[in-house]
Amino acid sequence: MTPNIENSGDTWPTGRRTDEWSECLTLIAQNEDRAAFTRLFRHFAPLIKAFALSGSKLSATVADELVQETMLKVWQKARAFNPEKAAASTWVYTIARNCRTDMFRRLQKFDTALAAEDVGPEQDSEEPFALLQGKRSRDRVREMMKELPPDQMQILAKVYMEGKSHAEAAAELDLPLGTVKSRVRLAIQKLQIQIDR
Amino acid sequence: MANYHPDLDLLSEHAAGNLALAPAACVSVHMSYCEQCRRTVGQLQDLGAVLFDALPGEPVAEAQLNAVLARLDETPPLSYAGSPAWAAGKTPAILQRLMSGDFTDLVWKKITSSLSISYLKTGDPNFEFALYHIKAGGKIPEHTHHGSEMTLVLDGGFSDAEGSYHQGDFLLRQPGDAHSPTALQSEDCICLAVLDAPLKFTGWKYRWMNPFLQLQAG
Repeated sequence: MTPNIENSGDTWPTGRRTDEWSECLTLIAQNEDRAAFTRLFRHFAPLIKAFALSGSKLSATVADELVQETMLKVWQKARAFNPEKAAASTWVYTIARNCRTDMFRRLQKFDTALAAEDVGPEQDSEEPFALLQGKRSRDRVREMMKELPPDQMQILAKVYMEGKSHAEAAAELDLPLGTVKSRVRLAIQKLQIQIDR
Repeated sequence: MANYHPDLDLLSEHAAGNLALAPAACVSVHMSYCEQCRRTVGQLQDLGAVLFDALPGEPVAEAQLNAVLARLDETPPLSYAGSPAWAAGKTPAILQRLMSGDFTDLVWKKITSSLSISYLKTGDPNFEFALYHIKAGGKIPEHTHHGSEMTLVLDGGFSDAEGSYHQGDFLLRQPGDAHSPTALQSEDCICLAVLDAPLKFTGWKYRWMNPFLQLQAG
């Protein structure tokens, strides 16, 4: 399944620093606003459930558990959200991804002191220029994703939504590992994601 | 500032959350030293978020919402002190979590006169996650790997035939790469090494030790 980027433009109006969902997060942080939380839930819960079920790694019951767990974390961590640093959807997606990883590890009976959010990547930069650049690059990534060819989108969906490693994606699509890696790299290049080395 | 980084494939898998626990922890520790990799991974997460936004939503029953609303009081929003997660000059938070103390409180197993190893428990059953302490100017006997090895310099530095590495530098060695790292002359070196197969000494002097170097995963 190749995601349809065209329909998602309304969550990120160009040129606006905040959107409806960051406002909801801010209301939760300031007033523990349940109405704002409910709006957020109605928007994100179906996406989190779809994320849980993509790649069909989790059952429907476990997917519902993941929805609850993620949304509780969203409530609990709302004060850590900074609209200058991240889009609300990236922030919620990151929490959902960490919860899903932890859930896999629990199902595999890992005995660990580390949660996915401990070892997971977080973005953090206070520098004004970096913040501005971050905002620009987010808009650009969003804009350019619409232009990616389907073969690259398909692989990005496997890796980022279904949680497949490059090797697993290669096996499922019956492609050489090198092809998968080069498609991911090509996509990243087209999105002008910054790699300064 | 780090000069050696995880490659784009690795950063991409990390941003997607697809790395196993021990390698993910190692890449994260590198990121605690590296602003560039934080930025790249941040942008890769935006990529993930665009895909997430575009998923065709799965219906969620109203009962789920009510169940969550009923639990909000148990978990009120937390307050954050606002200290940056990546404070410079500190032992990275992940290692602090695993060490309970600092480097000197760990149990070090002496391997050679200049090399000691301390194994940390991550809970990842497939990877050894260990700290290597090499005395200033000391050399790790030439060795090779059955599997791959991630190395990250935490303190001091070392060099091998291909370059010299300092705090925050990240190296990935593939199976069969042989090398013999030497710590800088000026100070002791502490590295994090993540292995999926035991290292294997190649020189006649140390080969007898190989059977004792079982992978300490877990």
